[in-house]
Amino acid sequence: MDQQILNAIFIGSIYALFAVGYTLVFGVLDILNLAHSAVFMLGAAVTYSLVVNHGQAFWLACIVGVVVSGVMGLVIEHVCLRPLRRRKAPPIAALISTIGLALIIVAAIEQGQTGSFFAWLWVDGPNSVAFPAGTFPNPTWHVGDLTLEAAKVAIIPISIVLMLVLGYVIRYTQVGRGLRAVAENPRAAQLMGLDVDRMISLTLVISSALGGLAGILFGAALGDINPYIGRDNVEVRGLAVIVLGGMGSVPGAVVGGYLLGFIEVGALVALGSSARGGVAFAALFLMLVLRPQGLFGAQLRERI
Amino acid sequence: MDFFVQLFTDPVAFWNSHTLLIAQIGINSIIASSMFIVLFSGQLSLAAPGFMAIGAYTAVLMDLYWHTPLALNIAAGVVLAGATGVLVGLPVLRLRGVFLAIATIGFIEALRLGVILNLPITGEGLGLKNVNPDPLGGIYLVLVSLAVVLFLVWRLTKGRLGAAWAAIRQDELAALSQGINVARYKMIAFVLSAVLAGFGGALESHLQTFIDPGDQQYGVTRAVQVLSFAVLGGSGQFLGPVVGALVVTSLPWIFLQAQNYINVVTGLFLIAVIVFRPQGIVGRGGLAIIRPWWWPHRNVRAPSPG
Amino acid sequence: MKRLHLVSWLAAALVVAACGSTGGGGTSNTNSYSGKTIKLGAILSITGAGGVYGPQSRDGMNLAVKQINNSGGVNGAQIALTINDDASLQPQSAQVAQKLIQEEQDLALLGPTLSNSAVAVHPLAESLKTPILAVSTTGINIVPNCNAPSTVPCKYVFRDSLGEETAIPDNIKSYAADSHPSTGVLLVAQDDKFSSDGGTIVQKTVGQYNINLLKTIKFNKAEADLSPYVTQAVQLKPDVIFITSLGNIPSKIMTEARKQGWTGQFLGGNGFNTATVSKAAGDAGKGARSASAWYLGNTFPSNQDFVTAYRAEYNKDPDQFAAQGYAAIKILADAAKRANLTFTDLAGDRDKLRAAMESVNIQTPLGPFQFTSTHDVKQTVWVIAMDGVGGFTLVHQINAS
Repeated sequence: MDQQILNAIFIGSIYALFAVGYTLVFGVLDILNLAHSAVFMLGAAVTYSLVVNHGQAFWLACIVGVVVSGVMGLVIEHVCLRPLRRRKAPPIAALISTIGLALIIVAAIEQGQTGSFFAWLWVDGPNSVAFPAGTFPNPTWHVGDLTLEAAKVAIIPISIVLMLVLGYVIRYTQVGRGLRAVAENPRAAQLMGLDVDRMISLTLVISSALGGLAGILFGAALGDINPYIGRDNVEVRGLAVIVLGGMGSVPGAVVGGYLLGFIEVGALVALGSSARGGVAFAALFLMLVLRPQGLFGAQLRERI
Repeated sequence: MDFFVQLFTDPVAFWNSHTLLIAQIGINSIIASSMFIVLFSGQLSLAAPGFMAIGAYTAVLMDLYWHTPLALNIAAGVVLAGATGVLVGLPVLRLRGVFLAIATIGFIEALRLGVILNLPITGEGLGLKNVNPDPLGGIYLVLVSLAVVLFLVWRLTKGRLGAAWAAIRQDELAALSQGINVARYKMIAFVLSAVLAGFGGALESHLQTFIDPGDQQYGVTRAVQVLSFAVLGGSGQFLGPVVGALVVTSLPWIFLQAQNYINVVTGLFLIAVIVFRPQGIVGRGGLAIIRPWWWPHRNVRAPSPG
Repeated sequence: MKRLHLVSWLAAALVVAACGSTGGGGTSNTNSYSGKTIKLGAILSITGAGGVYGPQSRDGMNLAVKQINNSGGVNGAQIALTINDDASLQPQSAQVAQKLIQEEQDLALLGPTLSNSAVAVHPLAESLKTPILAVSTTGINIVPNCNAPSTVPCKYVFRDSLGEETAIPDNIKSYAADSHPSTGVLLVAQDDKFSSDGGTIVQKTVGQYNINLLKTIKFNKAEADLSPYVTQAVQLKPDVIFITSLGNIPSKIMTEARKQGWTGQFLGGNGFNTATVSKAAGDAGKGARSASAWYLGNTFPSNQDFVTAYRAEYNKDPDQFAAQGYAAIKILADAAKRANLTFTDLAGDRDKLRAAMESVNIQTPLGPFQFTSTHDVKQTVWVIAMDGVGGFTLVHQINAS
């Protein structure tokens, strides 16, 4: 086994975890929530700030980070989506309103500097920071040629367990049936007595909490937290992931995440670094042209 | 607010010290018109920055190696962008809504990261120096071009082509059953849009001393910006995207007082406009593009197709 | 009260008129400066990707302006400096420059922060005959050939930041002399001008010192995880890894490479030279070498004054960008002092200032400072190494030739 395979699995887990929330919202609402990447970043930033600037324990900070991210889901719904639904605006409008919110979140962190208005939230401005060593146990093992780092290895089971739980919830619980009903046909769901607005809020809370958690894991394992990690690192790749897996399909996003990890690392190994940059996007393009429903989109109607 | 005060009290001085800004607004308006044409025909394509890159690099490279005149360089950029439009359009145009948007994002990023950043002739990441730029004098060419483009787009949308596009946008199946060759009209819109974007890109390169292959120039960031021109301005009428380009491009100047918080203000502005005028600043219909069938659409009226 | 005001105004007007008439006598007269304002405009990246550097330049500049104005100004004239954000965007940078030159009628400009903005702004300033002093740009084709590929030197463009074309070869040369490495791998961010310029310089230089460049690995800045690239580099077991990139990327590469068990030497460029990078790299970065225009502990008296004043003002340590911003204001102030400005003929004043800048010879935190005949810096170069705790130690001092 090669170190590169580990690299691919690891980054694939991050992609998958990010994309699950992304695709969930698309599955239920037919909307691309472009603020998802900002929530990813916010989760990591809040957690870091609590640990380093406010002296809280790492585990507590993680929980707060996830909760804050979930609350941001409510903000997205109430500020960017619900008013547009009320005004019966087409979904393309939601693209712009979520971009607007993402701009605000990123700018708030970017301007969070000592003495500024947002200093309580973040003090490192546009600089990149990492959790100080010792914040959480992170031993590194060397097995033959392989390097195994605890923080990275841990992401794999965490992602898989979370995604299995989410899959179970959607498939077998009351709430999951409600979500699927709304995804299928919101009007019918409403007639059946479901509170559609509440279901949509719930979707955004789950999606954003997962996005925030992905951000925290990313920041912890990669030692890289700055205002742009969401926008630069995962936003567009997240699109590639959900397309590869099939738009709106949760298991598809998981497989798509790992697939993209392997495509990227594979291209680097096989084709060299110069050719690799465009490969993920060429794959995305080809996938849409050849099989627009994605790997797991066989039944386009039943999506999540 | 100094910006407006000067604009109205001393327009001549304003013009003299803001030619770069005005020229950028003009170019953004041309690119917004390119976005308008695809939106008007019901396609959410974000391919414009890719075609702009083709137009820009072609024009600058022709000048660099063959020393050909500007008009020929721009024409070559436009033709190449149009030809690429055909090649890209053939496979992707059966996609709809967000799927088309993502496929076109795949196209522009594959072009930028995979091709432009790796070809020695395009200067790779070093960028490309433009040998004969005209940043200050180019404004007249831009404004004349903008007028011509707007006139043409206006004529097209009022004619048979525009009627067909509007019909397709409102209901593709109904348009098909009326005997409209949907695939062909979509292709025409896509290629025209590529041509306009290529033109805008070539023109923009003429104003720039340096062709920067960055994301803000030819990547997703630019695509999203162009989309915001069209959606904020309103994509039901040809003037909408131009107004959008005008507003969005001048935002940093209008909100100069916001200083470091400019993006907070910009974000609030985007949300406020889209929430209170989902149909855009100009016009009433036109946003009804990627509506899922269950999304209610009582308020959205598009111009009638006839 | 009103009458008193009128009287004092009249008196002031008379004094000004008197000064004006003597000043017009043709001989150099410092009194013509008093009460006047020297307008300078800085174009910096305060927001966006360049926001890591712009604010440091701003703080350094503001400190210098404050010091000069508090100690009598430039022959009695006060400096009025405006800081203008370009949001790290090339078009906006040029638009701001045009406004500063034509509407604000600034005497000279400073900046912009990023190299890809500089290649748009500098030719514009050159064509509008306005002196511009680059304070942080280190790429290729900044001075004197701002209109490259044209070889006509730009008359109005200067820089006080150390170009990578000097710094990277100096760094490689000194390390080659110390340790005789034989193999290297280059990791270069391919999607920004600064990093690509640096990579090109490394490729051109290594051969002279018998270092075999095994591979050049390119990546994009917007890369979630750099581990695959680092793995590829480490598997080649090079003596040296060259990193030319910006922001936090060098520290990410160092951390990952050390985790993967590589123990060789990191060499880099200007991207290494901030405390943030050294701090983020921590132990992994210890010993990583770069050539710098400035370092905190340099023993020039003017630097010690600067560091003390900066700490008192901002309650933190300055970095290279702050030192270069501070030096830039001192340079412009010195030139303005000797330029015999009229304060009435803007175009003439800009030309006089430009001419005076060419003969600047002052003490700055960067050391004794002069421009070369190509308007580039002529200064001491410091080869420094990260100390593992957020600072740097001095390895070599290379005096200006």
